[in-house]
Amino acid sequence: MSDTVLPGPYPGPPSRTRRLRRRAVTGAALSLLIALTGCTSSTEEDSSPAGRGADTTPVAVTGPLCDVLPAGDEPGNPASLVGQTPDQALTWIPVLTTFEAAVRATGMAEELSAADGVTILAPTDDAFKAKFSTANVDELLLKETETLRGLLREHVVTGAHSVTDLVAAGTVRTLAGTDLAVTPADSGARVAEKAETVCADYRAGAARIHVVNKVLGSLPDTAHEEEHHH
Amino acid sequence: MLSALLAATLAATMAPAQAQAEPAGAAAQAEPNQVQGLAVVQGDGYATLSWTPVDGATDYQIERTPVAEDGTATGTAVITGVWRPNRQINNSEPTFADAGFAPGNRFQWRVRARVGSEAQPYSTPVAGLTNAHWGDPDTPGQNLRTQWENTLGAQYTSDVNEYAYTQAVDELSERVRVVEIGRTIQNRPINMFVVGYPTPPATPEAVAATNPLLVNCNVHGNEPGDREACLIMARQLAFTDDAKTLDLLSKTTMLILPTLNGDGRATGARGNSTGQDLNRDYSLIRQPETRAFVEMVRDYRPIAGYDGHEYGNANTGDLPMLPPRHQNVAQGIFDESQNMIEGHMYSQGAKDGWWACPYGCTGASVGLGEETILRNTLGLKNVVNSLLELRSSGGPTRPDESNTANNRRRKTYSALWTFNQFLQYHGANTKAITTARAEAITFQSTNTGRIVFRGSRPIEAYPAPHPGETPPPLDAPTPERILQQPPCAYKLTEEQYHGERTDGPAGQRTTVAQRLAAHGWKVIKLADGYLVPLAQPERGLVPLLLDGQAVEGLVAGERVMPTRTGTHNGPLTLTGVNCIDGATLRGPLRVQPGATLIMTGTSVNGPIDVTGAAGVFLGGNTVNGPVRVVGTTGPVNVVGNKVSGPVDVLNTQGAAALVAGNTVNGPLGCSGNATTPVNLEVANSVSGPKFNQCSRL
Repeated sequence: MSDTVLPGPYPGPPSRTRRLRRRAVTGAALSLLIALTGCTSSTEEDSSPAGRGADTTPVAVTGPLCDVLPAGDEPGNPASLVGQTPDQALTWIPVLTTFEAAVRATGMAEELSAADGVTILAPTDDAFKAKFSTANVDELLLKETETLRGLLREHVVTGAHSVTDLVAAGTVRTLAGTDLAVTPADSGARVAEKAETVCADYRAGAARIHVVNKVLGSLPDTAHEEEHHH
Repeated sequence: MLSALLAATLAATMAPAQAQAEPAGAAAQAEPNQVQGLAVVQGDGYATLSWTPVDGATDYQIERTPVAEDGTATGTAVITGVWRPNRQINNSEPTFADAGFAPGNRFQWRVRARVGSEAQPYSTPVAGLTNAHWGDPDTPGQNLRTQWENTLGAQYTSDVNEYAYTQAVDELSERVRVVEIGRTIQNRPINMFVVGYPTPPATPEAVAATNPLLVNCNVHGNEPGDREACLIMARQLAFTDDAKTLDLLSKTTMLILPTLNGDGRATGARGNSTGQDLNRDYSLIRQPETRAFVEMVRDYRPIAGYDGHEYGNANTGDLPMLPPRHQNVAQGIFDESQNMIEGHMYSQGAKDGWWACPYGCTGASVGLGEETILRNTLGLKNVVNSLLELRSSGGPTRPDESNTANNRRRKTYSALWTFNQFLQYHGANTKAITTARAEAITFQSTNTGRIVFRGSRPIEAYPAPHPGETPPPLDAPTPERILQQPPCAYKLTEEQYHGERTDGPAGQRTTVAQRLAAHGWKVIKLADGYLVPLAQPERGLVPLLLDGQAVEGLVAGERVMPTRTGTHNGPLTLTGVNCIDGATLRGPLRVQPGATLIMTGTSVNGPIDVTGAAGVFLGGNTVNGPVRVVGTTGPVNVVGNKVSGPVDVLNTQGAAALVAGNTVNGPLGCSGNATTPVNLEVANSVSGPKFNQCSRL
C-alpha cells in the first residue's frame, strides 16, 4: 500500500482547448516539451496547478491497485492532486481514462466540483471493458450522453467521504437517487455488493475519489456482444 | 483481474535477500536446474534478457527488482513475465524483452526455470541501468519530450501537446517536414512527418520516387499506444547521430502519421466523431479522415506499411501481426508481407525478446478479409504491409497490469521496437518489395483471373514450435462471393457517378466521382455514362466498390463484359466501346476517334494505331508491330505489354498517361502530352532510346 506523503512539483495538465492552431507554439507550450533533467527542485514550481495546496497535505491512498499508480514524486501522485479540481485529478489517474472521458463528454466537471464536496466512485477502464462493448462505449460517449450522465450520477455521492466513513455509514445515496450498500472488504470497501475499492481516498479539491473495480448502475451488460478486434 | 499479478508479486518477494547475498559472478557452485549465463542488454524502453536453457524446463519466470547503485533493493521484486518454449522461433536461445519500467532506473533481474509447476533455483542476479527517455537532455531537439514521457505515462499526449511537439520537431530538424494531409470532421489537423536525410524530398511525387515506408499510428482513438511510439520515433529519426539510421534515411523517406483519428483520440472513442469505425472505411472513404489517408497514399505511394492497434485478448503474443489476406491482393504482395512478418519480425523478435505472432491465433473470428480494413485496402493498393496489435491484457506470459503506466510503457516500447525494425526490414528488402509491387501492378493491370468479393488467403501455422497456438481463421470465400469471369469494366450512370451520397457526415458528403479520384482510379467519360476499367493497378478493389454483388459496395455498376475474345484475321477498325480479352488478332488494329479500347492478354500481330480515343487501356498484351496512341481525350494506361516495335504516346489531353512495366523492343517516345506520363516507379524495359517526356520511364 502506498502511504506516500510527498509534494507534487509538477506542471499540471495542459489546457484542453478545442482551438487548433497548427502554427502556434508558445514559449510555455514549448517548455513543456523539453526534457525534465532529473533535478526537480521543488520551490520554483510550487505555483503550478499540481503544486498548489499540495505542499504539506498528507494523502494516504489505500488499496491493492495503489502500488501501480503514480506515487512518490511521480507526476500524478496523490499529494499533487489535492489542489486540483476533480475532473483535472481524474486525468492523472491512468486507469480511469474511460471514466474521465465520460466526465468530459457529459460536461459533469462542474457538478463534481461542488463546494460541499462529492464522493466519486470511479470505475477502472477494466471495469468498463468488462461491462460494455467498445461500440456501446462509443455510443455513450458520442450520442447517448444523457444516458451516460445518468450512469455517472450512479457513481457520485454528495459530500466528501473517506472509505472509512462510507463503511461506517453502511448505506449512501447517489446523485441518481439510488442507495448503495457499503460493507467492509479487505481492499477497503465493498459497494452495492459487487464493486470493491482498489485504490481509495484520493483527494481533489473538495472531492474524494475512490477507484472501484466494477461499473455500478442499471445499464445492461454489452461486453459479450463483440470481439475486440482491429 | 489483479490477483494474478499480486500472487506473482507475493511469490517473488519470498527470496530476494538470498539472491543479493550471492555476489554476481561468484564462482559459487551451480545448483541443479539453476539458470546459467543470464545476460541483460538495454534497449529503448525494454531490456533483453537471455540465458542458457535448462534441460527439461517447462517455462521460465523472469523477476525484476528495483535496486540502488550498491545493489540493495529499493522496491518489491516482481515476476514480470514468463518465457514459454513456443513463444518465439528460436527455442534454443531464450530471450525475453522485459518492459514496463520507468526509463532510466536501476534494476536487477533473475530468471528461474520451472519443471511442471515446480520452481527451480533462481539464477545469479544481473543488475543494470535502463535507458533513459531517448535523447540527450542538453541537446536541442533531442531534448524534446512528449506529454506521455514527461508524465511518466500517467497521461497520454493530448492533441494540443502533439501539435506543439510536432511543430517543434519540424522546426528544429532539417530532416523532417510536417505536412497536413487533411482535417478531421471537427477540424483537427491530420499531420504527417515526412522524414529523409539530409532533407526529405520536396514534393509527394519526389517522395514517391524514394520507395517510402509508412506507419499509421492511431486510427482507433481508444488505442493510443502506437501513437506515442510514433511521436518518439519521429524525434529519434529527426535528431539521431546513428550512422546506420542516417544511411537508411538517405535512401528512402519515412512517413509517420501519428493521429488519423484526432477526434476519437480526444474523446476516447474508437470511432471518429460520428462513431464510424475508420478501420471499416478505407475502401468506402465515407469519412474525411479516411479520404485524406487514401489521397495521401495515392500521392506519396508508400511501398510498405504498418497499421498500429491495441488488442485486449490475453491469450496471444506480445505483438500480433497479420498481412493483407483478401484474395484479390496480388500473391507477391501477400508473400512479401508474410516475409516481413515471419521472415523479419519473428526472427528479430527472437533475438530481442519480443513475441511477434499471428493475429487471430486465439481462435477468435478476427483478422479476416474485409477490404474496408486498412491492412487489406493497402494490400489491394499493392503495398506490402501488416497490422500491428499491442497486447493490452496480461496473460500467460505477461502480468495483468490494468491500464497503468507500466502497461502503457510495455505497449508503446514494443511498438517502437516494431517500427524501428520495420525501417530495418525495409532497408534490407527494398529490392524484394519493389519487385513484388511492380509485379502486382502489372498483374492487376492485366485483369487476370477470378474476382473474390470477400474472403482470405489461408495462413499456414508457422512450423512447430511456432509463435502462436493456432493459425488465424481460414475465412475462405463462399461460392456466392466468387466471380469466375471478371467484367472488363463497370459502367456508371451520371446519377451513380455524380450524385451526392448520403453515407457521409453532413456538410462533408462526397460523390462516387470524388471517391474514385481519391483512390486514384482512371475513368472514361462516355456520351451516356462513365466507364471504370478493371485493367488498372487497383483492379482488385474496383469490383468491391462497383459491383452489385459486392459485400460493402458503393454502387451497382453495369458489368461490361468483353466484346471480343477469339481469333480475328485481317484488319480491324473499331468504334464505340471495345473490350478485347485473351484474343488473337492477326492484322492491323485501328481505333477511331471517340472510341474506347480496353485490351488485355491479347496477341496482336500488326500495328496498333489509336487516334483521338476517349480512353485507352492496354494491359499484358503481346504486340508484334508499332503501337501509336495519339491525342487521347481521356485516360491512357499502357502496362505490362510486350511490344516488338516502337511505342509512342503523344498529345494525351487528360491526366498523366501511365506507361509502366512494358518490354519494348524498340524506342519509346512521348511528346505533346498535357501532363508528363508516369510509371509509378515501375520501370519499362526499352531496348531503344526513350524520348522526351518518356526519357525517365
